Amino acid sequence: MIDERDPAEPALDDASEARLRNLMQGAFSTPERDNSPDVLRGVQQKLRDRSGGKFYTDGWSTIRHAPISTFLVTGLAMLVLMLFVVFALAPLSGRAERVRNEPAPVELVTPSN
Amino acid sequence: MNDNERRFIERLQQRDERAFNELVETYGPRVYRLVYRMLGRREEAEDMAQEVFVQVFKAISQFRGDSRLSTWIYRVAVNLCKNRTKYLARRHDDAQDALDAVAEHEPLHEAKGVTSADVSRPDHLVEGMQVEAIVRYCIASLDPDFREALVLRDVENLSYDEIVEITGVAEGTVKSRIHRGRLALKQLVERALGESIS
Repeated sequence: MIDERDPAEPALDDASEARLRNLMQGAFSTPERDNSPDVLRGVQQKLRDRSGGKFYTDGWSTIRHAPISTFLVTGLAMLVLMLFVVFALAPLSGRAERVRNEPAPVELVTPSN
Repeated sequence: MNDNERRFIERLQQRDERAFNELVETYGPRVYRLVYRMLGRREEAEDMAQEVFVQVFKAISQFRGDSRLSTWIYRVAVNLCKNRTKYLARRHDDAQDALDAVAEHEPLHEAKGVTSADVSRPDHLVEGMQVEAIVRYCIASLDPDFREALVLRDVENLSYDEIVEITGVAEGTVKSRIHRGRLALKQLVERALGESIS
């Protein structure tokens, strides 16, 4: 490995070096305190545009987390709908009327001569 | 590289969009901070951070696992920042905004040890922010190679080995750039503040 350091260069004392490092870290501390920008949205948008719609075109690929709340709401809505249908259609379902199964009266006809 | 990491990289190489989302969520903030430190401007940094991941998405099939994934992403980020810096330098698009911000400032000794993280004294806060702006401007004025080495070593706190992997230059060269960068930065800061920082 080649060390490019020129021996004639002045050396930096430890105190200056520490102070300089402190100043550099202080100078860039601000973005750590702030919220970082939403990099993901921008990346998805760029990839969608540049791939001509090959990537990140459907809604599922661009979401960050599985939409649990959507699943729950959809499930509950379906349950409510099914209950409604059951109760709404129940009166229409009807019941078989009990048929009196008595033998029809038989009229005896006497044969005439 | 463990099995989980290998499987994750395989998913990335198969262009699994959900895996890529996970990658950006994991490394996005770190990459943003790095490029902000390299470029010195937020708007530029946000766009550049996005560009880094677009390049990673394109080139992930070339990742062989010889280095850590984070190191490889850092390398992409550093190279893109250098290219952008050269491009901006050609256009003479220097940090005029930063110059305006440092037009008036308090002496450094009054802001000693204070950054804008300290909010207990509003007057110290303002002084600290002025010093931060001056230092950022001075770092932006450094030679790109010096700036890169200083940011990676003194701000990102990376080891020499990691810097060697990211920059692709010899360890001696890295050490030399850090040393020269510190000297250059010290001179710039002292000139801007009109006093010694020792």
